[in-house]
Amino acid sequence: MNDLFMSFVPGDSVLHRLDPRTKIIGLMLVSFCILDASSFADMFFIALVFTVLVLSCRLPLGHFVRSVRPMLFFFAILFLMQLFFTEGREVWHFSSLSVTYEGLLLGTTITLRFVFLLLFAALITATTSPSRITSGIERLLRPLPLRYVGITSHDMAMMMSLSIYFVPMFYDSFTSLREAQISRGLDIRKEPVKAIFSIVVPLVSGSVRRVEEVALAMESRCYQSTGRSSMHEMKFTGKDHVSFAMFVFLILFLTVL
Amino acid sequence: MIHIKDISYRYPDNTLAIDSLSLNINKGEFVAIAGKNGCGKSTLLRHMNGLLLPCQGSVVVNGMDTSDPSSLMDIRRTAGMVFQDPGSQFIGMTVEEDVAFGPENLGLSQREINERVDLSLQNVGMEGYRYHTPRSLSGGQKQKVALASVLAMKPDIILFDEVTSMLDPCSRKDILSLIENLHENGTTVVYVTHHLEELVHADRLVVMENGRIVHDGHPREILSRNDPEQFGSDLPPVIELARRLADSGLIPADPSSFPLSRAELREVLCRSK
Repeated sequence: MNDLFMSFVPGDSVLHRLDPRTKIIGLMLVSFCILDASSFADMFFIALVFTVLVLSCRLPLGHFVRSVRPMLFFFAILFLMQLFFTEGREVWHFSSLSVTYEGLLLGTTITLRFVFLLLFAALITATTSPSRITSGIERLLRPLPLRYVGITSHDMAMMMSLSIYFVPMFYDSFTSLREAQISRGLDIRKEPVKAIFSIVVPLVSGSVRRVEEVALAMESRCYQSTGRSSMHEMKFTGKDHVSFAMFVFLILFLTVL
Repeated sequence: MIHIKDISYRYPDNTLAIDSLSLNINKGEFVAIAGKNGCGKSTLLRHMNGLLLPCQGSVVVNGMDTSDPSSLMDIRRTAGMVFQDPGSQFIGMTVEEDVAFGPENLGLSQREINERVDLSLQNVGMEGYRYHTPRSLSGGQKQKVALASVLAMKPDIILFDEVTSMLDPCSRKDILSLIENLHENGTTVVYVTHHLEELVHADRLVVMENGRIVHDGHPREILSRNDPEQFGSDLPPVIELARRLADSGLIPADPSSFPLSRAELREVLCRSK
């Protein structure tokens, strides 16, 4: 549970020390580049950028493998859909299914796009603590006229922060409940439906109680959606300006390429 | 400091939790509240920082009425609360972020927030755990961080809701000593507990039953003669022994000198020789 999907890995690299707003904006710009990439040369260049960033952060590669692994089934479906349902020059066929050259190319490109989107998102979450991400998003959303829809940027950031905070808590509750039910004779393999009910029902009721307790703790510590300050310093430094310049260079390079 | 006048409170399911209760708590007092499960101790405590509002009567904290919505922030800043389950009161991802949550809500400057976080963590001896996740801490450590989170708001009153009930004896001792220090430094303490041996340092003991106060006085006077059934807990062995010794005439039956701890009992026995 210490290395969850898309979790934060503490460190002191340049990427770790960048302002979260730079990383969020950078991720958005890189995402545009990835979605625009259509050739293998583009993909190779994106892979090169990703590798350089990972090496500079001295992050374990296993962390990124764990980030992609839960989505493998989705990637496989995505690839197979493009492979079999794209019209073009046929390279292989079996019964009514046929694989085309264009399908193979499109399937690989689209799948790689999603893999890279996920990898870059994992790179940002690995180098930025969840609270700094939410603080960054809060600061980016602050100029928007959200008050007209009855919400503040602090509310948005707090909702995100709590959602992230509850994931490990739910996982712990799920593990405890599963162990408790197994110790009372539940066979998850033989009775999967019964297992779902015997774990999900107490999990939901326990979670509701836990949410109420957290809400009470927040209220008792004067939570308010306006007029809050933050302990995280948000200041663009020279490193952030250089990073922005590099993002612009990356976009220009890929556009020209 | 806290003036509770004739309050009653019913839960949405119509259960009467507090029944025409009045209580005054003075500045710097250490008031312990005991009683059986469901007698209304925690409900009363939640009225003291405006988490619950009475159906009738009034609660005034430092001159501010909890029924006035504009005073609620100041009341909660004045009267901080530490809850029973240390695991369910964390909001931050790391210890420092959790301690900073309260000062952030007060809109303090970044420098002030960091100073308060440093000081609060030092006060509870958790400065070495600043960047740890609250989930990785033991029960006692979690409760210390919860206390630091409240201390960071610099409250005049701290309300403790059965804070030692989920802790091992060692952690309980640590938390009690921290509470004692706070009281010695002038903080008003309201302490709800089931453990009667924790009442040694209280100036006052309030015993509740069915939403009402049945005893209000010094712990010596109350514990020396009343039925332990009312306290919702067995008498600690020292008090049980002292009561038997007093009944047998081996020590004086005077409530004002009734021993509440082993050291006090030893002293009384030495004097009675």
